[in-house]
Amino acid sequence: MFFRVMDKERVPELVSGLSESFELFGPVAKGEKFVLDRIEDPAELRLDFDTTLLPPKKLFFPPEDQMMRFRVADNEVLDDEVFAAPRMIFGLHPCDINALMLMDNVFTGDYEDPYYTARRASTMIVGVSCVPTESCFCNAWGTDEVHWGFDVFLTDIGDRYFVSVHSVKGAELLDQHVVTREITDEDTAAFQERTRAFKSSFTEELDTAQLPLLLDAKFDDKLWDELGERCLSCGACSMVCPTCYCFDVKDRLAADGKTGVRVRTWDSCQFSEFAEVAHGDNFRASRASRVKYRYYHKQWGYLSKFERVLCVGCGRCAKACLAGISPREVVKALEKGGEC
Amino acid sequence: MAARVVVIGLASDFGCQVQMTNIEDDLLDVLGTIDLVYWQLAASGHMPEEYDVAIVEGAVTTDAHVETLKRVRETASVVIALGACAATGGIPALGATGDLEAHYGCVYGQDAAQVACGRITPMAIDSVIGVDYVVPGCPIDTEEFLVVLSRALLGLKSRVPAEPMCAICKTKENVCFFERGELCLGVITRTGCGARCITLGRPCTGCRGVAPEANLDSAIALLAEKGITAERLFERARLYNTLEEALDR
Repeated sequence: MFFRVMDKERVPELVSGLSESFELFGPVAKGEKFVLDRIEDPAELRLDFDTTLLPPKKLFFPPEDQMMRFRVADNEVLDDEVFAAPRMIFGLHPCDINALMLMDNVFTGDYEDPYYTARRASTMIVGVSCVPTESCFCNAWGTDEVHWGFDVFLTDIGDRYFVSVHSVKGAELLDQHVVTREITDEDTAAFQERTRAFKSSFTEELDTAQLPLLLDAKFDDKLWDELGERCLSCGACSMVCPTCYCFDVKDRLAADGKTGVRVRTWDSCQFSEFAEVAHGDNFRASRASRVKYRYYHKQWGYLSKFERVLCVGCGRCAKACLAGISPREVVKALEKGGEC
Repeated sequence: MAARVVVIGLASDFGCQVQMTNIEDDLLDVLGTIDLVYWQLAASGHMPEEYDVAIVEGAVTTDAHVETLKRVRETASVVIALGACAATGGIPALGATGDLEAHYGCVYGQDAAQVACGRITPMAIDSVIGVDYVVPGCPIDTEEFLVVLSRALLGLKSRVPAEPMCAICKTKENVCFFERGELCLGVITRTGCGARCITLGRPCTGCRGVAPEANLDSAIALLAEKGITAERLFERARLYNTLEEALDR
């Protein structure tokens, strides 16, 4: 890693240059919210975004994704190749970059997923620093910082960006498309000051040190029943979660019945069918058991395998949940041993 | 041998049969896989004696509908309920509460006696006969119709989604109506349409029926916090769900 400094006014020329070689994605406005979308015009890019409605997983693991086509008569697979054009996402916050690395553990680990892997390998990432919002709790998991998982990272230090360059390709692209300069002591001081201000701007410090132990101890806590009474079983939390990776696989026949497509769609452990098996038995038939499962998977099961929790504190689920169920509240309730 | 299919309409505006004609890109392919022996909207012939699959649109509002359905059930090995009227009673079921004769009088005045002979309280078709597959919605979603038809022809298990609509709505990156303080029935309505209306900028009106997995108690509580009364929720939901027992409270 090495560091440079780039004036903010240089961003449009950098973005224009990059869009010649990549399908460029970044945060753009959608009403008062933001979404990750194709950047056709550098003026659309909104690096001042708070968060995006859907996390970047949608670009690697789309909500609905065709896995293959098949011919019915002889079960022949017709088209299962994954083509991924060179892409770049310009403007991901540390939480979302961390989330992609948690997804990597699943999709590129013991069972390599060709669809995810191909898109991941063809996508460069430019990160950008953020300002914590009221719903952010990335500081609880240490995902407010990111040290790898990007090509270039831009930290806002006033009228300029402190540029962390992590990959050779990232260095080459910067060289090619934009003027940067060497860092000065003043830049470094500004960077450190910004980091200090950032760290102290979270609404609260969540104590998560005891969480695995508490989850172990509170499997039968009445908290889970209370949450089950509130849960709407809508699955919105899973959809907007940057680390929820469960999917369903469906075959759909064409209208002539001769060919079909196999698609996978995002699934949610909050759906009643999720743990239903042949013969109609359901391992998690109650709402309470499904809400509980979500927390035990994310904050306990994944942890025991990958030594990280499967949550980056982005706050999307808390905002999406009309019933107001949020990991922050759940963690606090477990700590207190009281109601949520 | 291709399955012999009939399409019939009971009390409805035939909008779902019209919607079938809107499957322009695939309609000829579909017709190539079945033997369409009767289509009430599109053909002037008579209902045949024998067929395998009956697609039934509309609610039951007369004695004659009841007789038709019983015959259909005796003849067809597969019955598909098409659209909200057939699936939940839909709009015709608005007449299911209150004085039926008064409703007819309100609409037809002095001529009420001459219309809808043998009228009975409106109901969904599964109140009369067993139904194997359901395509909910007002009107039906053509993609969902094709999926259900193909499952029916292959003899696959019926799979009507049980959850409310918020998940698919999130995948469309819609801004939630509740954030603007507006009531949207997606939170209690059966998913499966791809949150089409919401994505087009209109709140869900509940035409697909109340989701079996909807948590009404919690929905009522959270709406109250947003200043929306349970009565307003129910009033909106009853447009398509008059007969829904879950809303009887």
